[in-house]
Amino acid sequence: MDGLKPRIADAMHRQSQPTVTVLSTLLAVQDELGFIPKQGIEEVAAFTSSTINEVWAVASFYPNFRFEPPCLHQVEVCWGASCHLVGAMPLIEAALQASGLETEGDTSDGRLTLRYNTCLGACSQAPVMAIDHHLIGRATPESAKARIAELLAEQNG
Amino acid sequence: MADDITISIDGVEIITQPGKMILEAAIEAGVYIPYLCYHPGMKPFAACRMCVVGVEGGRGYPAACVQPVADGMKIRNEVPDVLELRRSVMEMLIAEHPDGCLTCHRVEICGPNDVCLRHVSVNDRCVTCPKNERCELKDTVRYLGMNLESPLDYKYRQIPLEVADPFYDRDYNLCIVCGRCVRACEELRGDDAICFTERSGSALVGTSFGTSLLESGCEFCGACIDVCPVGALVERDHKWEKAARVERTICPHCPVGCQLNLEINSAGRFIRAVPDLNSPANRGQACFKGKFGLEYVNSSDRLRKPLIRRNGVLEEATWEDALDLVSTRFSEYTGDTFALLTSPQSTNEEHYLGQKFARVVMNTNNVDQTSNVQPELVEALENALGYAAATNPIWDLENSGCILVFNSNVTEEHNVVGVPIKRAAKRDTKLVVIDSREVELTRYADVWLRPAPGTELLLLGGVLRSLIDQGLENPEWLEENCESPSTVHYALHNLDMDQIVQITQVSLDDIAEAARLYGQAESASVVYALDNVSVDLRQDCVRALIDLVLVTGNLGKPGSGIYPMRQGANEQGAWDVGCVPGRLPGYQPVGDENARQMFEEAWGITLPSNPGLGLAAAIRGAAEGRIKAMMVIGDSANFSNGKLGDGLSALRELNFLVVHDTFLSPVAEIADVVLPRVTFAEKEGTFTNLERRVQRLTASIQVKNNDSRPESWVICELARRMGASGFDHHSPSQVMDEIARLSPIYAGVSYKRLEEESRLVLRTNLESPQPTQVLHSSREYRGIQWPCQEPGAPGTETLYVEGFQERKADPATPEFRAAEPADDSEYPFLLVPGRVLLQNHRDMEIIEGKRNRIQRQEWVELNASDAAAWSIGEGDEVEVLTQRGDLTGQARLVDSVPPGVVAVTSLFGQLAVDLQDSKDPDPASNVPGLDIRPAKVVKAGSNGSS
Repeated sequence: MDGLKPRIADAMHRQSQPTVTVLSTLLAVQDELGFIPKQGIEEVAAFTSSTINEVWAVASFYPNFRFEPPCLHQVEVCWGASCHLVGAMPLIEAALQASGLETEGDTSDGRLTLRYNTCLGACSQAPVMAIDHHLIGRATPESAKARIAELLAEQNG
Repeated sequence: MADDITISIDGVEIITQPGKMILEAAIEAGVYIPYLCYHPGMKPFAACRMCVVGVEGGRGYPAACVQPVADGMKIRNEVPDVLELRRSVMEMLIAEHPDGCLTCHRVEICGPNDVCLRHVSVNDRCVTCPKNERCELKDTVRYLGMNLESPLDYKYRQIPLEVADPFYDRDYNLCIVCGRCVRACEELRGDDAICFTERSGSALVGTSFGTSLLESGCEFCGACIDVCPVGALVERDHKWEKAARVERTICPHCPVGCQLNLEINSAGRFIRAVPDLNSPANRGQACFKGKFGLEYVNSSDRLRKPLIRRNGVLEEATWEDALDLVSTRFSEYTGDTFALLTSPQSTNEEHYLGQKFARVVMNTNNVDQTSNVQPELVEALENALGYAAATNPIWDLENSGCILVFNSNVTEEHNVVGVPIKRAAKRDTKLVVIDSREVELTRYADVWLRPAPGTELLLLGGVLRSLIDQGLENPEWLEENCESPSTVHYALHNLDMDQIVQITQVSLDDIAEAARLYGQAESASVVYALDNVSVDLRQDCVRALIDLVLVTGNLGKPGSGIYPMRQGANEQGAWDVGCVPGRLPGYQPVGDENARQMFEEAWGITLPSNPGLGLAAAIRGAAEGRIKAMMVIGDSANFSNGKLGDGLSALRELNFLVVHDTFLSPVAEIADVVLPRVTFAEKEGTFTNLERRVQRLTASIQVKNNDSRPESWVICELARRMGASGFDHHSPSQVMDEIARLSPIYAGVSYKRLEEESRLVLRTNLESPQPTQVLHSSREYRGIQWPCQEPGAPGTETLYVEGFQERKADPATPEFRAAEPADDSEYPFLLVPGRVLLQNHRDMEIIEGKRNRIQRQEWVELNASDAAAWSIGEGDEVEVLTQRGDLTGQARLVDSVPPGVVAVTSLFGQLAVDLQDSKDPDPASNVPGLDIRPAKVVKAGSNGSS
């Protein structure tokens, strides 16, 4: 885990916004590593002059923080109101089917993390999904299946 | 008062003050508004919504705990709409708590001995909850008159029980997430060992990454258990037992003098201790010792009958035979061949009788107390200022702008004194810690000065010098209050700061910063002990600390105290009533003829005028054959931990040794006569805590099937048999009256006053649901802080407020120097042990099992120059060998450890595990201290000759 320390420190110190908080620092760490390791909680506590349990209380409050290394690819399907109205549910079902998951989560081969998102901020393109933070507008169950199948079949990421 | 306002609750008028919340005003007035997350002493949280009320002219239903009172406010409490709203709130709360125990229709008719008739599934039964019959939630449900059926489905959380950590059993299936425990840990204790986890439906209490309490920084003080309204957090010992009655007494483990409410079951056995909410010394707090270290009272290993050694074997005897034998033998040793040692857990009255027995019956001043291993701790204080005691109340530390802690492991040895320090440090009080060891407070310190062992005195000189160089002294105050102000400066002239930096291994910047923080603070306090300070430097260390106090004028005002951290629970009282060799009751010197004359008249005898031998000298005297007979009351770790040399061997040399103890302790095993002694919980009397507060002990439990007696009885019986008069007291109260007559500082202390001056502070209606601590704490007993010079006079909270009346402060000049380095070629290093609650940066593993254990690689920190000299590399496995045990770890080369030192800092969690597993009947009294000792370091696997 020692290799993570410089990356964590770098991410924490790189924050350029005027107000640095526990939350912003946690986000910086997660942006860097894709997750927050135990060491990350400790480093954030030291950086923000708070305690590990204070940081944990914040980190565990938000479901968007994850504490295990992420899978190779992140697939997010929006189920906000706009997307919901134009077919988010069939999209979700297709995504689940294609990835072999029963609900949002990680595939067992570690290739793909599927998450529901409450708004990806692109209602005009609804329904939307995002793969590795790249938006895909007017997604269809078929296109979702195809893209996920591609991700799962890829060789060596 | 002028700013009083009037509010009304359901038409009942209440006088209160602005700034209070409705709930506070109601609790003070004895009007019940139900609440579950509020707890007196903590900030309101408004999470449970149980205290919603109606306010006439207001909108909605505000929570009473966060709604400030206003003049003329009309509050609606027990009215149908409010009660209905509370019932719906409760329905939601109990959707996540087993509700069978709360709403079972047999609750009214089911008695404690009835077998549950299975109206309710097993998980939900009231009888399967440890808090049954003492559950605040259940009481509140009953109060609200809930329907027996809830429209909401109960969701069992299915969380495994947490029962592998020391002392605590936790069942988060019963948690109602009121947050009292989290707030107690953070707000009251300053610890943050637990936190809220997740949110909304899955929100709960836990730790970061769900780790064991052993690695989350828990100090096992039990504060979370004390405030938990449900069965989620309970003490493991006597978990299922119910209190039949509650008795308030004083904790016997340290001189903080925590008032504890002992819960006693129907069989008359002690089951739990709950710290008292209104106690001025501990304010509702206790520590791992007070909370979990009193079980020895119930031990089946206790001595039951007197024992007399016959043909080398201790055999049971009657009190008659034992006392006859002891009195006959003692008559052979009157004079200075006898010494009496009382226990730190003896009461003031017993200490008084003990010293009177030694002086009147045995005609010697050889009397002391077994925890008094460092009389130097207060001698210089008494000489310089007048009183051998802390100047300010414990909780006044919270008012300090800066607190300097010198060589004192406060958080372990005087835990509750650590609470105001930690709380203050978390706000804006500056904390300076001077200690070679890494202790819990060093984590909170703004500046931690870590001198090479033996150079503490020199370092204090450096701090003083730096303070004066920075112009931070208060010459006017010094001039006005000090006998010879220039004395202080005199010794500082010769100090060479460069040399100090070089010898102490503390940087000039750190010294200057510590001096600046202390000197610039509006008010500053000093908390000190003399742990690991060599005998010849102790007086001067205390003198230097007093100088620090005097040059800055930090005396006689709030937040500016000097606190000697004594060891024994009632060591202060022992000194006060003359149970020390050189002083008669009330600190009147034995050498002073007038003082002696007064006592000679009162006691009707002639007193010896030589000062007598103290503890250390008496033990030496025993070894050398000058002391031939001794009576020792209570066991003391000091006989075997090296603080008195080889104490046990010395005692073996005696012709006649009588030990009065609760257990067959190592010292009892070598005695000629052993007398069984009652514990603190079985006797009446008073203790005086370190802030000079005289407080009463209550005989809370009866001694059953056991002939144990208190030492007051034994001493009086012996005196009577030896033909002495003046030992015919009927009660401790009478003894206190005698103390008050003879000792001016106690003149106003009497049992009558201690009782009468208590007052009702929480007008709790016992019919309504209340937190346990509130139920136990409706009355406040403040005790009396001496000096209390006249019968009706109030005690003295803070000393020297009026300046120095009779004599000015008279500081002595310390000679700033370092200890002579011990030239020990076999053990060339000093092992400096440390212990902290938390070390984030260290990898560790918890071995889970029936009991969790910590497994980790200890770090042996040493200076790079030493490492090079001994061919030790970073990460090498090394062994540290000492004459008192060895340890192994991984070498770490660091700059912060001075040459010649190896530092090993362990985790408090390990100590908690060890205490839990200990076979010692009274482990809390024998917690190993952090003693620096000679050591050698070898690479693991080598034969130790390198």
